[in-house]
Amino acid sequence: MILQHFEDQESGIMNAIKKNPESASPRKKLALETARLGKRLYSNADDLVWAGPLVPFDLLNAMEVTPCFAEFIASILVSTDAGPLFFENAEQAGYASDTCGYHRMLMGSALKGMIPTPKLLISAMSPCTGGLAAMENLARVFKKDLFILHIPQKESDHGVRILANHIRNMAESVSSHTGKVLDKDRLRKAMENTNKTRDILSNIYKLAQQVPSPVNGRDLSNFGIVLPLFFGTEVGIEIAQSFYDELKSRIKANRSGVPGERIRLMWLQNRIQFKNNLVKMLEKEFNASIVIDELNVITWDPIDPEDPYIGLARRSISSPLNGTVERRVKQIVKLAEAYKIDGAINPCHWGCRQGTGARGLIDSSMKEIGVPVLNLEVDCVDPRNFAEGQLITRIEAFMEMIESRPSPW
Amino acid sequence: MKDKSKLIGFTCAYTPLALIDAAGFAPYRILPMGDSPDQAGHILHENLCPHVKRVLDRGMQDDIPELSGIVFMNSCDTMRRLNDAWQKVRPNDNTLLVDLPVSNDPGSVSFFAEELALLTDTLSQWSGNNITPERIENSIGRYNELAMHLNELKKRVDNGTLKDGSLRLQTIYNKAATEPIKDVMEMIKQMIDETNELSDGGLPVYLFGNVLPDPEAFVLFESCGARIVSEDLCTGSRMTHSIETDKSSDVFKRLANGLLSRTACARTVDPINPGKMALDVVERANACNARGVIGHTVKFCDPYLARMPSVRDALKKEGISFLLLEGDCTMRSIGQHKTRIEAFIEMLR
Repeated sequence: MILQHFEDQESGIMNAIKKNPESASPRKKLALETARLGKRLYSNADDLVWAGPLVPFDLLNAMEVTPCFAEFIASILVSTDAGPLFFENAEQAGYASDTCGYHRMLMGSALKGMIPTPKLLISAMSPCTGGLAAMENLARVFKKDLFILHIPQKESDHGVRILANHIRNMAESVSSHTGKVLDKDRLRKAMENTNKTRDILSNIYKLAQQVPSPVNGRDLSNFGIVLPLFFGTEVGIEIAQSFYDELKSRIKANRSGVPGERIRLMWLQNRIQFKNNLVKMLEKEFNASIVIDELNVITWDPIDPEDPYIGLARRSISSPLNGTVERRVKQIVKLAEAYKIDGAINPCHWGCRQGTGARGLIDSSMKEIGVPVLNLEVDCVDPRNFAEGQLITRIEAFMEMIESRPSPW
Repeated sequence: MKDKSKLIGFTCAYTPLALIDAAGFAPYRILPMGDSPDQAGHILHENLCPHVKRVLDRGMQDDIPELSGIVFMNSCDTMRRLNDAWQKVRPNDNTLLVDLPVSNDPGSVSFFAEELALLTDTLSQWSGNNITPERIENSIGRYNELAMHLNELKKRVDNGTLKDGSLRLQTIYNKAATEPIKDVMEMIKQMIDETNELSDGGLPVYLFGNVLPDPEAFVLFESCGARIVSEDLCTGSRMTHSIETDKSSDVFKRLANGLLSRTACARTVDPINPGKMALDVVERANACNARGVIGHTVKFCDPYLARMPSVRDALKKEGISFLLLEGDCTMRSIGQHKTRIEAFIEMLR
């Protein structure tokens, strides 16, 4: 069923592009490649590794192992007709509805046999203990081995060194579970590709900062969290380049992402993964554009292709989803200033302790620079209790408040 | 250094108490008890673990003794957020977050050992004392002795030969977490020496979970007809444990290995054996001849909530009845479960 979903998605996009080559937007390119990734995951042809979102996917790609993280597949599954059934299945099996929807979706679908069996699972305590628990549960269900990366909270010398060694051990473990050897030349090439993608991403984000911004609220949603799945590959470079070219051409044509942009917003942490009208409403009613998603950011230096482990370790540690809230907040404030945002929306994904636990501290720090934050209460994956009307009312009030005050910049 | 008192606050059973002791401080666990008003949800979020929220409430209300510093352990998401929030609400406190790996593989033990060495440096700065390896060894010895005495006491409670055993054991656990070790040791010795007095029966039950510090909770269990014959709680027997005293190996590695290898909280994972916690619960329930198992976890505790389905399955497979309770660290919440506990015990009879 899920394989069919990805095949339909792939052929649908390809047909649409064939019919109208001008419709080949970068967003479609990304969707096409994620459909292909999904096909590989579900075709039983590839060696799969389920991994946490801070695991270096480029290293796995260099080993010709197909990587995927739980939250990605959960966000795909929720868009299928069976989505609500998977939640119910998880809850019937005893997974509490108070826990993260991504992980409930994952467990519910795994128990129904809807998650392909990996060769190995790799997890980490960052970004969250719930994610680690979900991976342990998956390992139990699949009767497969679990490898745990310890990602330190701080970037200390000993922490980086130990994580770098852990990543080396991880590669060995992947090798012993898949039979795929990590070839030095392929690893070097993968790191060069990662660095190229990094450079393009950096340029994309610079373009997005322009006033008015060439991006709209959908262009770069989930971008910074999904694109790493393609790190180390030519496809990753192509996807990033297509976004860059598109934004560049919009700027050249004096075309902003949201026509008549009046309000610039930041979206914190996760987007809402199921269909909803919030972004459309923001753009249509208020000419408000989500110009920056918190996770669309480069926090790491280029990786040395000759000795990548230290660089990979530093990259994982530097993620906004790892470390103290103080560090995360500094990054958010930096983004707020760079993108000149008027306000931020924090969905406060229900069940996400590491994310929602930072709510009050984000609020107060943003207040200090004059940027208001709207905290919603949304399960970003589980649509069953989604009260769109109430959310729209709150967002409308927030927008009116922003309009009534001077810009912080 | 801000010299305030001889106490160091802590909030997690993975805290290396011997290091705090070696620095010349007494560890003081900020237990989630007391009447501080609910305020922490505004800083954190309402759907965060009530243990952490109540600890923060105490900090916000200044319902804690004067401390020279607080050591937080990176044991779970909410503990990390507690460390963040504490700095916001009490900016003048010395704080340190110690990174705590989730498994006890050699790499994790080495990393944790280095974290413990850094903690020692920090405690040394806070105290002004040079913490020599000898001091640490002496403190390990003291805490090993405490663990041994607590274990002896626990055995008496488990055997049902100490009057009001589980109530008094929990009271002692709380004292061991908040009062100087010397005083507590005296109290324990006196209790161990008390003459045997069989407790009033009750159905043998194994209790596991995370935070349940209120001794009254144990009175409630007994009033429902249960006798806790063994427990595994982070505010109970998981708080103390023996550390190897082989002085030929690095003291930090020994401490790190000891902490990561002790009876695990749900946050600690054995990657070689995913889902091991469920098997451990079954094994312990069988070992103490429990007729049933009660799991008690605070609400919104992901590490426990995520493992409960496998625990339930494993117990079911063994034919052991299981009751899961969720609480918020108040007697009010556990009291609401009274009827369920009574019904559970009734069913087992």
